[in-house]
Amino acid sequence: MQSAPTSAPGCDIVVSCRGVTKSYGSDEAKVAALRGIDLDVRRGELLMIVGPSGCGKTTLISVITTILNHDAGECNVLGRDVQRMSEQERAVFRSKSIGFVFQLFNLLPALTAVENVAIPLLIEGVPWKSAKSRANELLATIGLGARTTALPANLSGGQQQRVAIARAVVHDPALLVCDEPTSNLDHETGHAVMEVLRSLTEKSNRTVIVVTHDHRIFEFADRIARMDDGRITEIVEGKDREQVP
Amino acid sequence: MLRVAVKMLLGDRVKYAGLLIGIAFTSFLVTFAGSYFAGFMTRGFALITENPRTDVWVMDPAVRSVEPTTNMPSSALDRVRSVEGVSTAVPLALGRADVRFPNGRFQSFQVVGVDDATLAGVPPLQDGVTAMALRAPDAVIVDPGGTTGKLQTPVETADQWYGGPPRLNVPTRKLGPGDDLLVNDRRVTVVGRARALSRYPPRPLLYTTYSNALRILLPERRRLTFVLVTAAPGLAPRALARRIEDRTGLRARASDDFKADTVWWILANSEDVGDIETMLSIAILVGFGVMGVLLYMFTNENLRQYAVLRAMGATPQRLMTMIFVQAALCAIIGTGLGLGVCAVAGQFLTGSDYPFRMMWFTPAVGALMVFIVSVVSAAISARCALTLEPGIVFSGR
Repeated sequence: MQSAPTSAPGCDIVVSCRGVTKSYGSDEAKVAALRGIDLDVRRGELLMIVGPSGCGKTTLISVITTILNHDAGECNVLGRDVQRMSEQERAVFRSKSIGFVFQLFNLLPALTAVENVAIPLLIEGVPWKSAKSRANELLATIGLGARTTALPANLSGGQQQRVAIARAVVHDPALLVCDEPTSNLDHETGHAVMEVLRSLTEKSNRTVIVVTHDHRIFEFADRIARMDDGRITEIVEGKDREQVP
Repeated sequence: MLRVAVKMLLGDRVKYAGLLIGIAFTSFLVTFAGSYFAGFMTRGFALITENPRTDVWVMDPAVRSVEPTTNMPSSALDRVRSVEGVSTAVPLALGRADVRFPNGRFQSFQVVGVDDATLAGVPPLQDGVTAMALRAPDAVIVDPGGTTGKLQTPVETADQWYGGPPRLNVPTRKLGPGDDLLVNDRRVTVVGRARALSRYPPRPLLYTTYSNALRILLPERRRLTFVLVTAAPGLAPRALARRIEDRTGLRARASDDFKADTVWWILANSEDVGDIETMLSIAILVGFGVMGVLLYMFTNENLRQYAVLRAMGATPQRLMTMIFVQAALCAIIGTGLGLGVCAVAGQFLTGSDYPFRMMWFTPAVGALMVFIVSVVSAAISARCALTLEPGIVFSGR
């Protein structure tokens, strides 16, 4: 199946990719990671990107989050052409507009839960007291009000991922990118984490892109994009998830 | 974000302790080495330090330090005394002599001949003996001058002053009052032991009066090494020194200037100093190498955390600031610890005649060197953090 734009006419598009390509290496060692991605992501939707390892999922979210430059094509995120941003602009853009949730949580081990959650606010220049207050509120919202001073090493995997989600949304980003958020968690915990994720994004009409292999969480998706060999081969509505192999 | 930087640093106690120990060790090493070196240098001008009442030292125009020296004619003393502004001027003779002990052993001494009238230049003495003891005929006062075991005389009378070959392996004791020595075949009697400052290079010292020094030293046409001058009240030593030079044609230096001259002369001319410098430089380089590697490793091991911060939008400048803050904090605390340990060590060592002198510039040099290495290490580490690909935080990388 050919990759194709999938936005419905009139929808508010948060991410728009047209013919995006990206290769690694050079000459004979050149490997194409993205071979012409066309993708629209709507405001407020939860889009899951699935596919086998090495199909280009991570490269795609790296391009969307301005961490990586693409080689050709157009990629607009929140109305900004990512290719035209300077390194400094990209950093500021990420700090204000994008939240990240990683598979390995990537919490800073020396910082307590509340300090970890406050990091995006500190990066934005919010004073420590205000950042801490906001982080405490958010942790209480997701049921970790009693663990705010705990170090990551003293939290369970599920608790760590909830802290990571709180960290990702504390600065109220318009776009949330989650990389295998449930892969390191058991089914029940993964489900609970996704519930937290949904509860924190639904109200704010935030767009969420989730890269995952975990078919158990497909039920949370509004749409599911399947990637293979650097291309989006298929996009289905969440209700049709049974069609995704 | 500086709070985050500090917590990242303090969070890993083992690494943090390792860093602090490395930096403290390096600053200790540098400061200790500097103090050790300064100790040697101050020993070089011990003769000047032992004459605190002397404002100006007058010498042959060719002399640049208290060692080596060449002598002036005895008339120089009167010429100096005739200069306006000179309150007192006394002679001091320095000479080298091979001194024979009662069992036949010989030892090279520096002979210091002090003014007969004032006995100016005699260091503090042991056992309640006063400098007046030098007024006895052929009297000398001895001091090890920074050496050990060189002032030993036979215990048994039977081993002393006999004819025949020397008896070098007989039981000995410390030379003391009443013992005799031969200086250039002239017998002298030890009347006391001094507590003189240790010398660099170390050598036993033999204090006697100027007139007795002329008698026991090998005859020379000129025997006056220095004229020790005190300035009239209100007259600056440097001004008096210039005036003496103008009026007599001799070289005259204020005490502080003469100390500095001596240090520079030793630095420029002593082969021992070169050896010491080489050894200390190697030790310091090793210390700095260890410290630099530790600082670099700390940042390198935290690269993933920096990548997370970069992904979340921390600018390269902000990351660089964090790394420099971490390095600066380690450097300040580590340097403080190192200097503290060095000062404590110095307190113990100064009582044991060890050449340790923690002068103002030694901790300053230590701190400066640590600062430089910290900045360089932080810069190298920061380069790694700034050039890393933040995408490594994703699972696919």
